[in-house]
Amino acid sequence: MKKLHVGTLVAYIILTIFAIITIFPFIYMILGGLMSFQETTAIPPTIIPKHFQWGNYAKVFKQAPFARYFLNTFIVASVTTIVSLLNSLLGAFAMVNLEFKGKKILQMVMLSLLMVPGEAIIFTNYNTIARLGLLNTYLGLVLPFLTSIFYMYYLQSYFGSISKTIYKASMIDGASDWNYIWKILVPMSKGGLFTVGLLSFISSWNSFLWPLLVTNEDTMRLLNNGLSSFASDAGAETELQLAAATLTVLPILILYFIFRKQIIQGVVRNDLKG
Amino acid sequence: MVCIFMIDEQFVQVKNLRKVYDNGHEALKDVSFSVKKGDLVCLLGPSGCGKTTMLNMLAGLLDPTSGDILFNGKSVVKVAPKDRQIGYVFQNYALYPHMTVLQNVMFPLTVGKNKRSKAEAEKVAKKYMEITQITELANQKPGNLSGGQQQRVAIARALVQEPQILLMDEPLSNLDARLRLKIREEIRSLVKRVGITTLFVTHDQEEALSIGDKIILFNNGVIQQDDVGQNFYLEPNNYFVANFVGNPVIDNFAVKIADGKISGSDFEIPLAALDQDRIKGELTPGEYTLSVRPENILPSEQGHFTAKISDVELIGRERILKFDHDGIQARSLVNLETTIQRGDQVQLSMRLDRIFLFTKEGTRVY
Amino acid sequence: MKKNQTKAWLFLAPTVILSTLFLIWPILRAFVMSFQSGSLINLSWTGFSNYKYIFSDPEFWSSMSHTILYAVVTVPIGLAISVMLAWMIFSKVKHKSFWETTFFMPYVTSTIAIGIVFRYIFNGDYGILNFVLKFFHLPTANWLDDPSMSMITVIIFGIWTSLAFNIVILMGALRNIDPNFYTIAEMYGASSNEKFWRITMPQLVPTLAFLLTMDVISAFKVYTSIYALFNGQAGVGNSASVAVFYIYNKFQMVGTPGVAMAATVILFLLILLTTFLQRKLMKKIGEN
Repeated sequence: MKKLHVGTLVAYIILTIFAIITIFPFIYMILGGLMSFQETTAIPPTIIPKHFQWGNYAKVFKQAPFARYFLNTFIVASVTTIVSLLNSLLGAFAMVNLEFKGKKILQMVMLSLLMVPGEAIIFTNYNTIARLGLLNTYLGLVLPFLTSIFYMYYLQSYFGSISKTIYKASMIDGASDWNYIWKILVPMSKGGLFTVGLLSFISSWNSFLWPLLVTNEDTMRLLNNGLSSFASDAGAETELQLAAATLTVLPILILYFIFRKQIIQGVVRNDLKG
Repeated sequence: MVCIFMIDEQFVQVKNLRKVYDNGHEALKDVSFSVKKGDLVCLLGPSGCGKTTMLNMLAGLLDPTSGDILFNGKSVVKVAPKDRQIGYVFQNYALYPHMTVLQNVMFPLTVGKNKRSKAEAEKVAKKYMEITQITELANQKPGNLSGGQQQRVAIARALVQEPQILLMDEPLSNLDARLRLKIREEIRSLVKRVGITTLFVTHDQEEALSIGDKIILFNNGVIQQDDVGQNFYLEPNNYFVANFVGNPVIDNFAVKIADGKISGSDFEIPLAALDQDRIKGELTPGEYTLSVRPENILPSEQGHFTAKISDVELIGRERILKFDHDGIQARSLVNLETTIQRGDQVQLSMRLDRIFLFTKEGTRVY
Repeated sequence: MKKNQTKAWLFLAPTVILSTLFLIWPILRAFVMSFQSGSLINLSWTGFSNYKYIFSDPEFWSSMSHTILYAVVTVPIGLAISVMLAWMIFSKVKHKSFWETTFFMPYVTSTIAIGIVFRYIFNGDYGILNFVLKFFHLPTANWLDDPSMSMITVIIFGIWTSLAFNIVILMGALRNIDPNFYTIAEMYGASSNEKFWRITMPQLVPTLAFLLTMDVISAFKVYTSIYALFNGQAGVGNSASVAVFYIYNKFQMVGTPGVAMAATVILFLLILLTTFLQRKLMKKIGEN
């Protein structure tokens, strides 16, 4: 009995240490963003600022067009999420409920494409976008991501778990495929679609390399690129960098805390990697 | 065109229907039958016999490989399911889990060409919910309903389009035994009241016999017999039918015909003793199977053979006497009052006007 | 089911068209470009010269060795810590979903933003890490500005980042183990340790194999975290240059897309090989 107790205690201690290591950077980021310049470079390091310097945020917005970055990121993440979800939804429906020639081959091609790492094709895609004259445009930012074989595959497994007779029943009830998708399939898989949407939105929000390649005008930058160039420009003003970082992370963290269950379950369900 | 005068009579006609799946499996081989308007017909058979394939093709969920299906004299092979004027009740009911009972029943009237105003759809839906006695469940989700209730919702949803034909795929198999008896009577009285032509798929012979105006028995993609219920007992077409229908199952004895008599391992019956009117084929010398239903082989003073009773089983109002004959277990169905016990030596006598003779290929000759 | 040829392809059209354009085409294109030289607008065939070039380029070899070093160190350590933490959450403590939520946070947050925080924490002069080390009388280091420390810093950040996904997936796998296994083991008096090694670990093997592959692949692709830590650089004097850095540099900065694509093809082959080995491994496990 006593031995069991010790094991539990050790577990709590180790978990707490690692939890602190995990959370500390986030807390330090928020606190650091509210410090004065002196406090950020003081030794011993300041943990809690004496006076919260809310003015740091005003400075950030003054020095770089963060509002614009927000808008750009929001537009890009929303469009990417909605359109790619729609496209993968339609594709997954066809793969699950319709019979057609070449289905097996298509499924095999899709499965092997899942293995292609984004980094291996991102530069040639840049080339394509450049040739289409879409550098520094919203379309250029979203175009390669308007469908996702990954999400399609995920939704296939989701739709596959819905009994086939439901689809047959809807056919007999007089519903078209379009009716079936919107009146039955979508309402029945709300949870899965929502999770996929969330994950897609988050990974789009956090995207970095692709927008770095296809935008070089400040007005078309996304948050993470804006943040990283701001970090170089702001030089030694660590408190401003941290305030800007907080701005970038906070919306997603809020989203995460509201929907943590759906997000974690969604990732576990199909071992999704965003 | 030839049978124009029959249109009213034969509401559903299936002609030389064949279905070969992509994997080469031939689910139906040249199937033809017809159904009268207003009849309740059971498609009966063991699993994998093609009966569900048949139903799916009637519904238009599957395309036949060849052959034709006519509803009311018109070919429907090229008609989409939604335009066939059919209702379909699935084995698992296939209720939409995110909709209430009312929304489920209304659904067929809110999409496609049967679309009506919301008020009208609701009115029609409520009418059928009343008929199926689910009015008070209107706002429940299917997940909260019992199997029997879900069943009724499924039937109401199938009827709400006021279809010409109702197709039911093993609708009772998900219910417990007592409920099954009750619901099957309800289904029969309901479809008779509505007057709808119904095809009912089941693997349960008792269900088929009790509910069907006629039964079509399938095996291996071929119709074995298309007949009224009692004839499956009294006049089975072949060895398969005789063995598939009947509980307890029929007794089979290997026999030879030679020298004007039927000889089993320990009995002989002169061919002259048979009812000559029942002879269907030539009783040429050779090997046959003599089959007799357990109720037609009974203990008597002067039997065809003697057997030792190996077990006595009580089934409700009757007892089954089990005995080994020529290494095969056989049964005799006797009334409850019998005093015969395990181990008794009993003389057994067959009713010769009730026995069947089948060739090795299963064809009935007597 | 009835055949619905055209309708099906209509539903699939957006996905098929977009994947052809931005997934299949670029792979083929990258492969072709790896045999060409010149600028993007003016490419000409040069055979294997790009491959010859990268194989004799010390920068390529140092990038590749950094990448492999990163994968070989980060992945096993990250995985080991994850298994330990996941098992503790699963079997020892209450409020499992609280712990899970906490440890998963890094997965959803921007690497760039967190990299900025780590840059601050790792700062040699006023960073909190050195302060804590000093407090415990441990040796401090110049994490960011000392070239010999660059890869260690990157690896620490990499481990910190990798725990989130690993832990959540492992928790999912642990929950899937039939609890009756543990009940039976307890009836036979198995200790906590015995339960872990005799029941849990064997059941986790497929998940571990999966995570190993996923982690190795993402280690091969490491880029953003280094970019964030060193403010857009690959460490002082390219001391933390990795494969994707090399490719980016050759493609965008030096302007030799052919060389970049040759390196991309090599990286792609490495990833394919890893996936292939994982398949084999899984099959072997499946057979046992």
